[in-house]
Amino acid sequence: MGLHLDPSPVPGPDPERRLSSGPAIDSTDSTDTAPLQTVDLSAVRADAKVQIRQVSKQFGVGTSAVRALDAIDLAIMPQDFLCVVGPSGCGKSTLLNIRTGFETPSTGTVLLDGQPVSGPGAERGVVFQQGALFNWMSVVDNVAFGPRARGVSSRKARQTAMEHVEMVGLTGFEDRYPYELSGGMQQRVGIARALANNPEVLLMDEPFAALDQQTRELLQEELKRIWRRSGKTVLWITHSIDEALFLATHILVMTARPGRIKASFRSSFYEDPDPLVTTSAAFSEAKRTIVSLLRDESLAAQRQEGVRRG
Amino acid sequence: MTSPLPRNARKGSGVADANDASVVTASAAGATASGERTAKSIEDRRRRLLTFFSFGGMLFIWFALTGFGFGTGSALVSPVFLPSPGAVVERFVILSTTGYQGSSLLHHVAISMMRFGIAFAFCIVVGVGVGLLMGMSLTARALLDPPIEVTRPIPKLALLPLFIIWFGIGELSKVLVIISALFPLMSISAMQAVRGVSLRKIQAAYSLGASRWTVFRRVLLPASLPGIFTGIRVSIGIGVTMLVGAELIATSDGVAWMALSAADFLLTDVVLVGVLIMAAIGYGLDRIARLIENRLVHWSGKDG
Repeated sequence: MGLHLDPSPVPGPDPERRLSSGPAIDSTDSTDTAPLQTVDLSAVRADAKVQIRQVSKQFGVGTSAVRALDAIDLAIMPQDFLCVVGPSGCGKSTLLNIRTGFETPSTGTVLLDGQPVSGPGAERGVVFQQGALFNWMSVVDNVAFGPRARGVSSRKARQTAMEHVEMVGLTGFEDRYPYELSGGMQQRVGIARALANNPEVLLMDEPFAALDQQTRELLQEELKRIWRRSGKTVLWITHSIDEALFLATHILVMTARPGRIKASFRSSFYEDPDPLVTTSAAFSEAKRTIVSLLRDESLAAQRQEGVRRG
Repeated sequence: MTSPLPRNARKGSGVADANDASVVTASAAGATASGERTAKSIEDRRRRLLTFFSFGGMLFIWFALTGFGFGTGSALVSPVFLPSPGAVVERFVILSTTGYQGSSLLHHVAISMMRFGIAFAFCIVVGVGVGLLMGMSLTARALLDPPIEVTRPIPKLALLPLFIIWFGIGELSKVLVIISALFPLMSISAMQAVRGVSLRKIQAAYSLGASRWTVFRRVLLPASLPGIFTGIRVSIGIGVTMLVGAELIATSDGVAWMALSAADFLLTDVVLVGVLIMAAIGYGLDRIARLIENRLVHWSGKDG
C-alpha cells in the first residue's frame, strides 16, 4: 500500500467550481436552449433539500489511507433528479452511503432540509442493486416492511403496501416471493418498498445495473413516470450515461479517486415525452460531452488501480 | 410469515419446466400439458423403482445370507453373527411385550430419547442463541468464540469419564456429553449464518426505519434460518452417535445400552433390534427436521 498514488491536493480555493465551468463544456453548445448546460451545484442554498458541505471520506489511516472523497460541495433542490456518474472506484457509492447514513464522513456535514443527517432513517429511502429484498417475505410484506417498522398498524401498512405494489405495476404478484419474480420485477419491488415509507429523498445505487437492456429501458421510463407523480428528490448513482441523460434533471460527473466533482450539468432530456429521445442527435451530442469528460477519469482510475496492484 | 408456499409444488413445476423441451419434441404439439405430466410421472416412477430395488437388494442379501428362513442349516452365516430378518422381527415383538433386562422396550427407547431430547433442545435454545449473539456482536464473539474453538477438537466422548467424576453417574453426565458435542456445532453454524447475511439486506432494513430489534427479528433471524437448520440437521446425526457413547458406561437402560449389553451375551438379534431402532430414530428425526425446514425456509438458496 506504500505505493498508493496520492494525487496532489488541488490548488486554489474552489476546484470543483473552477472545473465545472471548464473548457470541456464550453466547447459544446451552451446556449440557453441547449439540453445539456453547465451549472454550478456547489453553492450553499438555504432552500436545498439536501446540502452536502465539504464532505470528504478517508478509509484507513497513515500511509495506507485511501481518500475516497475529497471535499464535496453539493446542493440538491427539491424534486431534483440528480444522477452521479463517474469511473469505478470514484467514491460514488461512498457519497451515497454517507447520504444514507451508513457511513459517516471524515469531514463535512450532510443536511436534509437543513437538519444534519446521522445514521440511516426512514425519510431517506434507498433502492439498492439486486439482492436487497427480503426473500422470506412475500412482495406485499416486503413493501409493508417500512411502514411496519415505523409502527404503522399491520392493516394500514398492508394497505399502503398494496397501493405501492399497484404503482409499480405488480398487482397480482403481491403474494409471490421475490425469488419467483424476474430481475426487473424484483427491482420494482425494491422501488415500491422504498416509496412506501413516503421518504423525502430517494437514493438509488445503480438499481438497474444487473438488468438486461430492454428491461432496463422500460423500467427507466416507468421510473420517470413514478418520479413525476411523486415529486420526490432523487439521488441516483449510475455507470450508464444514457440512463443519466434520459432520467436526470441534473448530472454530476466525478473524477477518479479521490472523488471530486469534475463537472455538473442541468439536463432537459427528461422532459421529452418520447422514449426514443436517446436516439436523437442532441442526445448523442450531450452523451459525447459526458463521455469525453469521463474517459480521462476512467483512464486515471485505471492507472490508480495499476499503481495499487503493482 | 403469511403463507409459506409448499416447496414441493414449486420444485415439481421446476422439473416440468426442465423437461419441457424434451416433452415438446417427443410428443405432438398441443398435448404438451398432459405430455408433461406423463413424462414427470414416468421419471418419478423410475426413481421410485430404483429406490425399491436398492432397498430390496439389501434385504435380499440379508435373506440369502441367512438361508431364506429354511432353518439355520441352510444359512451361509451362523445366526450368532447374523440372525435372519424373521428372527429379528420376532425378537422385536418379544422385546416389546416382555421388555429387556427388567425394563420395557418402550422405557429403553423413551429414556434414550429423553437424553437426546434434553441435550438437543438445550443446544437449539442456548447453542443457537449464543451463535446468533456471536454473529451479531464482536464483543460476544471475542468472549465466547475462543472457548468454543479451543475445546472443539477434543473428542467429546473422552469427556464422559470426567463428567462422571464431576456430576456422578446420573442422567446429567449423559446429557452433558451429548451437549458438549452438539453445542459447538449449533452455535458455530448459527454464527456463520448470521455473518453470512448480506449487508445489503441489513442496510435496506435500517434505511426503512427499522430498529435494531426489528432488524434482528425480521431480517437477521429469518435470513440465518437456512444456516441454522443445516447445523440442526447435522446435529441429529451426531447426537444419535453420541447417545451410543453416553450409554456406553455407567447405565442400565437406553436403546444403545440394550444393544451394547446384548452383545456381551451374543444376543445378536437384540443388538440388531437396537441398531435398527436407533437408525429409525435418526432417520425419523431428520425427516421431521427436513419437513420443518422445507416449510420454514422455502426461500433457501434462492436469492431475490
